[in-house]
Amino acid sequence: MKKRLAGFAVLSVAALISVGLAACGGSSGGKEGGILKITYASFPDYMDPQLSYTAEGWTAMGEVYIPLLTYRGAEGKAGSEVIPGLAKEMPKVTNGGKTYTMFLRPGLKYSNGKPVKASDFTYAVERCFKTNSGGSPFYTDIVGAEKFSETKSGGIPGIETNDKTGEIKINLVKPRGTFTNELGLMFVAPVPPGTPDEDLSANPPPGTGPYVITNSQPGRGWEYERNPYWAKANSKAMPEYPSGHVDGATVTIIRNPQTQVNDVEQGRYDWMQNPLPASRFQEVKSKYEGTQFVERPTISTYFFWMNEKAAPFDDQKVRQAVNYAVDPAALERIYAGTLTATQQILPPAMPGYKKFELYPHNLAKAKAMIREAHPSDMNITVWTDTESPNNEAGEYYEGVLKELGFKTKLKILNADNYFTVIGNLSTPDLDTGWADWYQDYPHPNDFFQPLLSGESIQPTNNYNLSQTENKQLDQQMNTLAEETLGPEQEGQYAEMDKAYMEQAPMAPYGNRTLDTFVSSAINLDSIVYNETFFEHLTSFEFK
Amino acid sequence: MERLAADERGPWRLALSRFLRNRVALAFLALFFLIVVFVLAAPLWADHVAHTGPNATHTLEKLQVGDETREVVTPAGLPIGPQWFEAGGKFFLGADSRLGRDEMVRLMYGGRTSLFIGIVSGLITTLLAIVLGLLAGYYRGWVDAVIARVLDVIWSLPVLLFGIALGISLAVGGLKIGPLEISGGSIWIPIFVICVFTVPYMARPLRGEVLALREKEFVEAAVAQGAGPLRIMFAEILPNLASTIIVFFALNIANNMLFEAALSFLGAGVQPPNSSWGTMITVGEQLLNTQPLLAIIPGTMILLTVLSLNIVGDGLRDALDPRSKVRLEAHAGMVEPKGTTV
Repeated sequence: MKKRLAGFAVLSVAALISVGLAACGGSSGGKEGGILKITYASFPDYMDPQLSYTAEGWTAMGEVYIPLLTYRGAEGKAGSEVIPGLAKEMPKVTNGGKTYTMFLRPGLKYSNGKPVKASDFTYAVERCFKTNSGGSPFYTDIVGAEKFSETKSGGIPGIETNDKTGEIKINLVKPRGTFTNELGLMFVAPVPPGTPDEDLSANPPPGTGPYVITNSQPGRGWEYERNPYWAKANSKAMPEYPSGHVDGATVTIIRNPQTQVNDVEQGRYDWMQNPLPASRFQEVKSKYEGTQFVERPTISTYFFWMNEKAAPFDDQKVRQAVNYAVDPAALERIYAGTLTATQQILPPAMPGYKKFELYPHNLAKAKAMIREAHPSDMNITVWTDTESPNNEAGEYYEGVLKELGFKTKLKILNADNYFTVIGNLSTPDLDTGWADWYQDYPHPNDFFQPLLSGESIQPTNNYNLSQTENKQLDQQMNTLAEETLGPEQEGQYAEMDKAYMEQAPMAPYGNRTLDTFVSSAINLDSIVYNETFFEHLTSFEFK
Repeated sequence: MERLAADERGPWRLALSRFLRNRVALAFLALFFLIVVFVLAAPLWADHVAHTGPNATHTLEKLQVGDETREVVTPAGLPIGPQWFEAGGKFFLGADSRLGRDEMVRLMYGGRTSLFIGIVSGLITTLLAIVLGLLAGYYRGWVDAVIARVLDVIWSLPVLLFGIALGISLAVGGLKIGPLEISGGSIWIPIFVICVFTVPYMARPLRGEVLALREKEFVEAAVAQGAGPLRIMFAEILPNLASTIIVFFALNIANNMLFEAALSFLGAGVQPPNSSWGTMITVGEQLLNTQPLLAIIPGTMILLTVLSLNIVGDGLRDALDPRSKVRLEAHAGMVEPKGTTV
């Protein structure tokens, strides 16, 4: 399932209780202890809090790296609320929305026993820029961050910290209405100073959450153990955060989803993290819904991106023709009932969503538009990943392009590194391909800035896959990002959605549902799921 | 008297008559030809019966069968099962997946791909093995040492694992060695991978035979007559390897088809949307619970093709070198070797 997504950090038991959801504890009547056996279909893009930008990564690390702020561990709208994480309370916003001040909770420790300091936040933000993280564009409004992103040296003067008092003051060059949400992302979760500025997937840095990752073997799996300093220090400093029920977990990568389903059915594994394969979805749903299986809507958009920087997709007419040619109804069927057709960027549950359909399926019209556009280059490479049904969506898309007269080559990459490869601008033949996007935070900016802002284009870990750069819409996006989201702004985001789709940098085709499938040994009712962060490891318990 | 008559017919005609007496081999040769005809007829079936191509998707289409309308793919994502001739030959074996491609058409085109890869890689492997075997066996010394060690190294590799690694990396990045350039999705990528890893299995035995043959009197005679190395290798020694080469070639095709199927099944061989019997098993495996035929049919085609080639190969070996059969049987304790018989 690789998806660009968001997710992050974790949390909060008391909060869960307060919203009446079973979060962690004895109320659900489960057993404490035990080792959970989990299977993923692919290894996360990175096992590194500053770098990961996929569902797998954020699910895997959500209970390990806690940012200063985080999201409430609850389903639906309740899960969209930003709450304090390592910070004592929500930031005080002053100076016309340009200064954020908060304090670190006292007594926090990393899993290696070293104390968490306020300046570690600065280090995390700098590391985010030094590693060219895909999340770094969220923080370029911090004073000095833009320059730091280029020079990678000299520090970020806009972040002032005091290790004695725990004070963290962040100065922005202009107000940013989404900044509270962005402080809750794992990209800026504190890590110990001196953590190398490189991908640490094989040796993840110490974290602050209730679990610690051990024995990470990229491509194969990893293990969780309880953070020895959680009980001693952090749980006392942040008592509302769930400590988790299981003593640990082992995660094994099993690339065949059929095997995963069989293994979970027969109790060899307790939970498969990725969605069920489309071919088994209805069967499992009918057999286990309510007992071992649950399906939930998500705030996501699945789409085909088209690289605007090179022929043939540098021509708006060609991109529009592709939108006419792609039939979301066919893709609904390919996703076997787990996807609802769409033709726009914002998903239904996102503020600002207003339904429109600019490109009703019309292959004849699409062919005529291609003839009219007469592209200079008809040879294109189509990219997708190996996970079903994304691979089939890619095959379908390649067939559509072929029908339009293009000479196509289909490249299907392992899901482990799909986004890393297509996010590297030096990869040759990045013409068009499949992608998806899950909300990082419940704000429409999250579906525009990372995916479509010219400022988000970067040489590696690039998520503006169509390499769209529209100065007028960029300006509008930046202006809107400064404002607090209200009905007026939502209306403007709806217009922006339409304006981008007129430019047609992508061909959106659906909003997905996701499922949770566990073995009969697991208490399904206790599992906490967050729209942006998915299943929380701390909520799993044995019956 | 019969023995004398046979001798007069010459070795090739003698071998042919022996082969024609092997009814099992003949039956499987006929089966192999049927399979070849079946896959060669793919465009005819696609154009005149199924009216669709191997990669054309029909996800949202409906079939009219009598008064009944059947969806090629149900909203739940289940592809239609075999229709046989109910829909005029369309979706004879059903649809292959949620993409709604005609399974029969893909089976026929996939067979062409599998056979093409098997035969072409078999040819290339055979040619390479002949050249390497002759050079190593004839020149001996450092030439033999270098070739033999390289073959040893390749032989010692876990073939499937390295084949997958090489296949996947080349499938993504393609191959460029000097003027040789193969794009990632080309079927020449699995052919290249198969050739790299199967050459030693033929070159090593050939080298052994050449080492023995070069000590024979007829080679000494050729040297005495002033024949050069090339002439000796290709005009004197090579004809004596013919029976071995023919047998190996038939078996090579079978083994290479199996190798291709394994590579494709694991995503390192033929790349989607193109089909081969290996990729069809991969697609079918996902629907094993509901549509087992999707995996069973291409699997059966591989089985029949490989089995027929192996039995034909055995038949050829028995016909071309009957002593080998006797040696094998003797080794297995079945009969006592009684010397040369015809």
